[in-house]
Amino acid sequence: MENAHKNCRFYLPVDAFKGFCKRDKNRINADDSCCENFERAKQCQSCAYFDHLEEFSGKCMQRFFAYPDMNALTCSDFKWLTQKN
Amino acid sequence: MHSSSIENTTTMETLNYYGKNISETIEGREAKPNPTPRAERLRSLYLDTKSSASVEFPYWYTRRWEELDGEIPVIRRAEALKSAFSHLTPVIYPEELLVMGKASYLRGSYPMPWLSEAYFMATEDRMYNDAMQAGKISADTVTTMGQGGGNVTQSMGNVLSIAGKFGLRKEEMPVLMNIARRWYNKSVDDIGHKYEQMVPAYKEKEAIMRSVICMFDSGYTLPQGREVINYYYPLQYGIDGIIAYCHQRAAEIAGKYEMDRLYFYKAAAITLEGIQKWILNYADEARFLAGLEKDKKQQLEYAEIANRLQWIASKPPRNFTDALQLIWTFHIAVLNEDAISGLSPGRLGKVLYPFWKTDFDKGLISREETLEWLECMRVKFTEIDCFASMGVVGGVLSGNTFNNLCVGGLDKDGKEASNELEMLILESGMRCDTPQPTLSMLYDEKLPEEFLLKGIECTKIGTGYPAWVNNSTAIDFLLNNYGEEGMKPEEARAWSIGGCLETSPGSWMPLDFAGKKWLIPGGSAPATSVGVHFISLPKILEIVIFNGTDPRTGQRIYPEHNRKLDSYEEIWTIFQDYFRRTVEVLTLTNNIQHDAWRKITPSLVNSLLKPDCLSSGRDIGNQGARYNRTFNVEITGGVNLVNSLASIKKNVFDEGHFSISTLRDAIKANFGYKSALETGYYSLLEQVKNENFQSWLKIHKLCIDAPKYGNDNPYVDDIFKKWTEWFCTMCSDYKSLYNKPLYACMISVSTHAPMGAVTLASPDGRLCGTTFADGSLSAYPGSDKKGPYALFSSATCYDHSLAQNSQLNMKIHPSAVKGREGSRKFLELIRSYLRKGAFHVQFNIVDSRMLKAAQLHPEQYRGLMVRVAGFTQYWVELGKQIQDEVIARTEYEELS
Repeated sequence: MENAHKNCRFYLPVDAFKGFCKRDKNRINADDSCCENFERAKQCQSCAYFDHLEEFSGKCMQRFFAYPDMNALTCSDFKWLTQKN
Repeated sequence: MHSSSIENTTTMETLNYYGKNISETIEGREAKPNPTPRAERLRSLYLDTKSSASVEFPYWYTRRWEELDGEIPVIRRAEALKSAFSHLTPVIYPEELLVMGKASYLRGSYPMPWLSEAYFMATEDRMYNDAMQAGKISADTVTTMGQGGGNVTQSMGNVLSIAGKFGLRKEEMPVLMNIARRWYNKSVDDIGHKYEQMVPAYKEKEAIMRSVICMFDSGYTLPQGREVINYYYPLQYGIDGIIAYCHQRAAEIAGKYEMDRLYFYKAAAITLEGIQKWILNYADEARFLAGLEKDKKQQLEYAEIANRLQWIASKPPRNFTDALQLIWTFHIAVLNEDAISGLSPGRLGKVLYPFWKTDFDKGLISREETLEWLECMRVKFTEIDCFASMGVVGGVLSGNTFNNLCVGGLDKDGKEASNELEMLILESGMRCDTPQPTLSMLYDEKLPEEFLLKGIECTKIGTGYPAWVNNSTAIDFLLNNYGEEGMKPEEARAWSIGGCLETSPGSWMPLDFAGKKWLIPGGSAPATSVGVHFISLPKILEIVIFNGTDPRTGQRIYPEHNRKLDSYEEIWTIFQDYFRRTVEVLTLTNNIQHDAWRKITPSLVNSLLKPDCLSSGRDIGNQGARYNRTFNVEITGGVNLVNSLASIKKNVFDEGHFSISTLRDAIKANFGYKSALETGYYSLLEQVKNENFQSWLKIHKLCIDAPKYGNDNPYVDDIFKKWTEWFCTMCSDYKSLYNKPLYACMISVSTHAPMGAVTLASPDGRLCGTTFADGSLSAYPGSDKKGPYALFSSATCYDHSLAQNSQLNMKIHPSAVKGREGSRKFLELIRSYLRKGAFHVQFNIVDSRMLKAAQLHPEQYRGLMVRVAGFTQYWVELGKQIQDEVIARTEYEELS
């Protein structure tokens, strides 16, 4: 799993390229490497119900197609894969 | 300029007929006040933001839709919407007062493959390959992408460009393709297409679309919009109140006659539950941010946001800020249910007045605080993007979303209806000048001078708004059009503009607040501009001249007429015949598309807001709204058509300067010039002659010298009148799928550019590929030579209340309206036009040299706005075809 800003729970996307850090409001790029305050965001790839199949796709609960980077903050079924990084 | 003989005319003299050389010194616009620091920072963030698409909403929509295979369609739709709303990731940006957005980006939007997946299917391989080849880039590279403003015109790094505008993260592309494939043969586009083919003249329709005689289909592109939203029910009852009403009505109806009502109420309640969850997710995010925040003021604001959202998720608003947040939430909720342009807030200053006035009188909010909220609202409306194909977003909308806010007008009893909040709305539009919401002044003779001068002050600084619209002309149209559905003069006064310039019916709604009863206006019809989307009039004339064939492609469009075209009347008759054929087949096929739309993706959010859907239990697709005669026929290039007919009449038949056959050859030769598509110059200001220039010089000069609309010349104005009256009458011969007659809509939006691009030279001297005259009443750039009052006389040669609108754009040099004296002269100019019965006029107050400089150095003009045709847009986000046309427009240096 990537540890880029876009994978961090403190990342606030402005557009597809960039966003803010919610902690300090600094402007950051989605794809840049994370800092020491990184906390993994709830995304499909960090969910126990997600099976990774190809680079950008997988299955949710073995039934529904899904993709690793999808936000799961609002998913009521989300369950951490093991434990928070 | 034209005293020299034809033989001696130089290239520059011919070209300068259409405008003058641009000198070096740029005259600035009048100074404007600044926004509050907060709004300035939020606007700066917007200006530094790229349009971005995401698949979160379509993913959850599609997933839930598939889970419910076999369920009653409207329930399935509601559950899909609920799932999508519930799962949208909340994003709240620093310093925002008003929160929530369409998607989880500042300028976010998303495709709706249930409407049409064709674009993705057609480009699947290319987009998939782009995704696989994408790589990481630095922010510096992105921020140098100045041209195009917020448009992602090229794929860069891990972001793919879609439709030349939207950025999509590469990791989302495969799932988008996956979703698109799931809608193949199930989308409104695909289902509609299947049944459209049963229309006998379907093949002719296909030929019409391929030759771009018509700009785009209606039912699956922008099936809603060009209408005024109605915020009344959430403001009066709160979301819990509406849900309770739906449950109560469902219980009363269950098992009884007209069972569809049961499903509608059930679906409305389900959808609202999704909206509630969406709001509450934002409240949670605000609390999370408050927990992280170290700055006390910002922390308090996050807490207030959370409190406000928590409240409005279920209850009616307590105050002005609750009300503003609630109406904004519902505005974007409607935008999220469909591909929509032109969902207008309408007369928002009257809708919010009860809340604002109560708070203001109690000392709970000051004028300055109100302005800060209104400025933040302007930024939020400007963030709205509409995801559609390049042809629609670029070619029609110019990236605009047409959220028209109207001020002025009359109240139910016919008294002038301006108020202090509307003054603040105008002030906020000056201080925080942004494209959205655009403003329109519903001009009425009863409005106070001070209020009108405030509007003038706003127009003068170059915002392009307010547009000036004639209240009484609109009311005449509404009563003519909706009288059969029961509209009375009192209710007609509740009207507003939907979209850029679509006259839309409204109703007065009885709001209870602070122990008083208030009448607030709101829209009471669905989309008032669906049906036949933009017929290119010069293109049809071209095909008449070329015996039913498109000379650009060589394809047959209409049956051969095989006439010699040896009289003007014959040309006019064949033109009418071809035009009628076009309207007929497009009406039938679009009716089928809209039928597919209402069956597959019925409107729920918009429906539950529109009177009388909730009381009748029918959505807008089943005529639940109060007024339903809302289908129209839109046209483009009317002035070029009329100028061309005048040129043919004079040069070929009255004076016999050349034959129709010679004219045909001249058109094919583009009068000895290179095509605009070859040169990249789209107005006549800058064109490049070819080696045959001299052979066609005389004919071209005769065509250019033929009478032109806009000069108070009866020769051409009579042609204009005859055409317009015929068009406005013939529309009612065709019926919508609700069996109601169509009406005429006379605006161009941005279609005059792409439709000009596919049209050869025209008999009025316009060259191949160049942009048509904009609007419906704007003179062709540079051809109006007798001043504004002559233009007004030409423009009012017919009764404007025959159509839904008319559109006149004027460009005035800033020096002509300077100071208080300039303001009064400006107001008198507008008055004189509207008193002739005109419907609309709008202005660019700008020095053309500034536009030219901005074209050369877009990076220095990121915030420069211009008025195009019914909307204001950032200069850098306009295509060059439109930019060239705006530069070339006649610039009035004095108002006499």
